[in-house]
Amino acid sequence: MYDIDLQSRIPIYEQLYRRIVELAVNGVLPEGTQLPSVRQLAKDLSVNPNTVSKAYQNLERDGVIYSLAGRGSFIGKIEKADVHTDLLKEFDLAVQNVLRVGVSEDKLCDRIHKIAQDSKSGGKENDS
Amino acid sequence: MIELKQVTKKFDDQTILDAISTRIPKGTAFGLIGSNGAGKSTILRLISGVYQTDGGEVLLDGKPIYDIPDQKRRVFFVSDETTQFHSFTIKKLADYYKHFYPRFSYELLETMLKSITLPQHKPLSTFSKGMKRQAITMLGVAARPEYLLLDEAFDGLDPSMRKLIRQILIDRMVEDEMTVIVSTHNLAEINELCDSAALIHDSKIVFSCALDDIRSNLHKLQLGWSTKAPEYSREQFEALGIEILRFEKQHSIYHLVARGEEDQLREKLAPMNPTIFDLIPLTLEEIFIYELEVLGYGCYKFDTEA
Repeated sequence: MYDIDLQSRIPIYEQLYRRIVELAVNGVLPEGTQLPSVRQLAKDLSVNPNTVSKAYQNLERDGVIYSLAGRGSFIGKIEKADVHTDLLKEFDLAVQNVLRVGVSEDKLCDRIHKIAQDSKSGGKENDS
Repeated sequence: MIELKQVTKKFDDQTILDAISTRIPKGTAFGLIGSNGAGKSTILRLISGVYQTDGGEVLLDGKPIYDIPDQKRRVFFVSDETTQFHSFTIKKLADYYKHFYPRFSYELLETMLKSITLPQHKPLSTFSKGMKRQAITMLGVAARPEYLLLDEAFDGLDPSMRKLIRQILIDRMVEDEMTVIVSTHNLAEINELCDSAALIHDSKIVFSCALDDIRSNLHKLQLGWSTKAPEYSREQFEALGIEILRFEKQHSIYHLVARGEEDQLREKLAPMNPTIFDLIPLTLEEIFIYELEVLGYGCYKFDTEA
């Protein structure tokens, strides 16, 4: 579930961060799910515990997870999280690139509407 | 915590370490990297209390280590030199270390020897180079020191053995808060195990900090402009307040190695409005090369990745 690539250029804590955000956003780890402890995850992944700890700290800072003293870390309410900022930043970059190669604004808007429609009709079981 | 304060070490007239200072907090995995003969092993020997400094101090939790048994038994040094153990068996060495290291655990040694099979009743002289390393490393872990020092930690080990050793070290970090200090040429190993590192060059420390800080502060940039782009010079980029370690133009793409965090670099370059803007994190190996190149070490021809 928390597959990481030790050879990647992306730092390990960042990979863990992104993975947990991804799993929380798409509902694989719903709100309130308890995450493994830093110690446990460090051992499971054979990753430096300080690296895992850094990922958890950043996740907590950004509101993706919250921790309860003595009980561990849990997935928070994703809607409120600063995760949006990161995702939107990626979106902006993608939009800029697409505009640059000459795709029209209208076409882009249509596409967004279509994606929204599709995910509404396809993702009912998640929303209701 | 281990502190090196203005530490100087000389052998005859040759200065190996020149007033270096750094801190290694407890519970970290700290990597010592550097070119050949940079002084990595000397630092480990100073920390283990084998060498005396010629200036400055090496402190373990505020107290000196050199020649003080109660301090020295908190540290275990796995040297890359194993000849002194040749006539001993693992079993005999375990008994020997048990005397000096009060927390030595036979159970832990047994557990490790289940995954790493080594003959326990044959002298080390019958072992291969890799087997000797494994044996001493395992004894070091079983001694349960607060600080485990590994010189050329992963030398002569095959990939699956390196992975196993890494797992064992991480396990001890988690269970025992053991601090691991490794010197190696293999930067991939540092990347996989360590959270902080020091780069030693020419008897001095080039940097000593958290690896993530080093990584997030140096980037490779690929920039390009569509139609009729003017020629940009290195100075023009520098005028935007960007420190450039390397500047190269190939065809119409600029390849830069620049200091700064991702957001800062994006912001500073935004006014130039590049069509292609790729920001690539560097590997430790690249950081090593570029940082040393700035200091005039090595003669690498910039080989831009296609």
